[in-house]
Amino acid sequence: MAEMLSARPETDASGGSKGKKRRPAAPTERVSWSLALLAVPGVVYFLVFAYLPMAGLVVAFKDFNVSDGIFGSPWNGLDNFEYFISTGSAARIILNTVFLNALFLTATLAWGLLLAIMLNEIRLHMYKRVTQSVVFFPYFVSPIVISVMLQVLLAGVGGEGGAVNDMLNVFNLPTLTWYTEPGAWPWILTVVKVWQLGGYMSVIFLAAITAIPPDVYEAGVIDGASRARMAWSITVPLLRPTAAILVVLGIGRIFYGDFAVIYAIIGDNGVLFSTTDVIDTYVFRALRSLGDFGTTAAVGLFQAVLGFIFVTIAVLIQRRYARDSSIL
Amino acid sequence: MAYTNDGSATAPADATARAGAHRASSTTPPGDSTTQPGQDGPTRPRTPPAGRQRAQKRARVRTTEPFTVVSYIVVTLFALFCLIPLWMIVAGSFTDETKLSLDGYSLFPDPFSLDAYKALFSGQAIGRAYQATLFITVVGTALSVSCTAGLAWVIARRMRVISRPLTVFAYLPLLFNVGLVPMYLLITQVLQLRNSWFAVILPHMLMPFLVFITVAFFRQIPQEILDSARVDGASELRVFFRIVLPLSKAVIAVIALFYAVAYWNEWFWAILFLSDPDKYPLQQLLQNMIANVTNAAMLPGGNAPTVPVYQLRLALTAVTIGPIILAYPFAQRFFVKGLTLGATKG
Repeated sequence: MAEMLSARPETDASGGSKGKKRRPAAPTERVSWSLALLAVPGVVYFLVFAYLPMAGLVVAFKDFNVSDGIFGSPWNGLDNFEYFISTGSAARIILNTVFLNALFLTATLAWGLLLAIMLNEIRLHMYKRVTQSVVFFPYFVSPIVISVMLQVLLAGVGGEGGAVNDMLNVFNLPTLTWYTEPGAWPWILTVVKVWQLGGYMSVIFLAAITAIPPDVYEAGVIDGASRARMAWSITVPLLRPTAAILVVLGIGRIFYGDFAVIYAIIGDNGVLFSTTDVIDTYVFRALRSLGDFGTTAAVGLFQAVLGFIFVTIAVLIQRRYARDSSIL
Repeated sequence: MAYTNDGSATAPADATARAGAHRASSTTPPGDSTTQPGQDGPTRPRTPPAGRQRAQKRARVRTTEPFTVVSYIVVTLFALFCLIPLWMIVAGSFTDETKLSLDGYSLFPDPFSLDAYKALFSGQAIGRAYQATLFITVVGTALSVSCTAGLAWVIARRMRVISRPLTVFAYLPLLFNVGLVPMYLLITQVLQLRNSWFAVILPHMLMPFLVFITVAFFRQIPQEILDSARVDGASELRVFFRIVLPLSKAVIAVIALFYAVAYWNEWFWAILFLSDPDKYPLQQLLQNMIANVTNAAMLPGGNAPTVPVYQLRLALTAVTIGPIILAYPFAQRFFVKGLTLGATKG
């Protein structure tokens, strides 16, 4: 999910902020129970859909079958975890998850930053507004639609040719049957992520650029710096905190693949699993096609625990060093 | 101070040039920079005339720098790169099947054909799928927004006993994601919601993240406004519905749009829980059709399709994304605003 970096939450879960805030962070208002009613639907929702399912995680230690139900099924200790590791897919999907996420994070951040700086150079209002809207648009395109687009580009709508291969032909370069080339897919998916999130990231960075005081640029102008020089020596260093937060948050979520995009594109195409299968897609397939609840829950629990550790560390780091600039 | 972020956030650096020009022609009070943030305006607000002219000259010279030229080119190319796949879908959906089966894609609708749309709208599937998607989007967004706003206000009020535990309570799901299996069991075994649209709505009806966005916005509402309403005898609930909500239209719009797009694009829970084709929302219908056509194309010696299958796929894709394209010019403003909410706050 997106990080709205600029919003100021002042959430007080871990100790209130001190000084300089207009209002004290400690709860001071008297209790109004009628007002508290407003929170009831939300509280009930979280209880049923976030807290109650935690009990369902016991399935990870059970030989689950539907007739005996969640609590009636016999225990089987760590068998589910052992099975997951013994199939040999464990190492592969964990590595894929971390590698792909790292790739996506690096690429989208770098491109978002560059794009923001370049958008900032554009002085024609209308043109800037239009291009900004256009590069932001892919963020709204659903994974399924992305998969159709990709197929048109890489294989043609019916599975023969495709626009990219035709272009390669024009330049006399060797063409590929993309959907059988596992090696190419981490990079193809990275391009997809850049297409999807590049504009989005650039909006976050542009907001941060806006907050840079004009004086520093004036100083740059007086010193005779070129635009490129100012971008590199002023804008980039001043955007480092924003980038750092995004990195920390990205690392916090490194065990959660972007399931939707990867599954919509790869689906059940086993040829590509060696490079594209991530924890989320593995779990989804295991549940949907094998109906193996025990193993799936074990993998899910494993992911949740690792994810929890990473997210918590990320949030703590961020609270410590950048609490003023971010939501989490 | 609380709402100065609204207008200026849309296109941050747009304001730059405007603010710069404005300052050059008249003496603007320094406080102006809070509403029109300029990050590299060529002049200071109170430069003497001579300096101002020199700065303007510099500004004019600057626009021709190589980096600026490169920026225009790169931004333009990337914008095209963002649009071309979209264009290929739309152009392909209007291109005759023969051309599509030959090349696999089409950059211009030539030969032009409406066959796919005719075929698409002659069947009932598309109407039903639209109905499903609309139900999920509208009902889901309404439920999501009301729950989010209610919960967020109670957290934002900083009431004794309630607010702080509630913050932790809403925060924890963000850190610990229970995963697929427990949710699957909950929906299918406990709540028995198979083949119900609510099975698609409920799993992510409340996003903790959006709750905290809303809390952040609510906390910017000046205490004085609330106090004055209370002095006038308004109840807590009345204050919320008559004052807080009307003042928070911007953030409500943002979270509503985030939820609505998520519901519109949702297919993950749909393919898990909806097996009755009559219940399929658009995304699932599209996914199903891709799988079927692929299967059909792989069948050796199968009959030549009588319906334009390739064109039909692209037409269905275009129809799926159509409403988003139409709503985009309106919605985009809010999304950018949401992302930069509070960015200019000092």
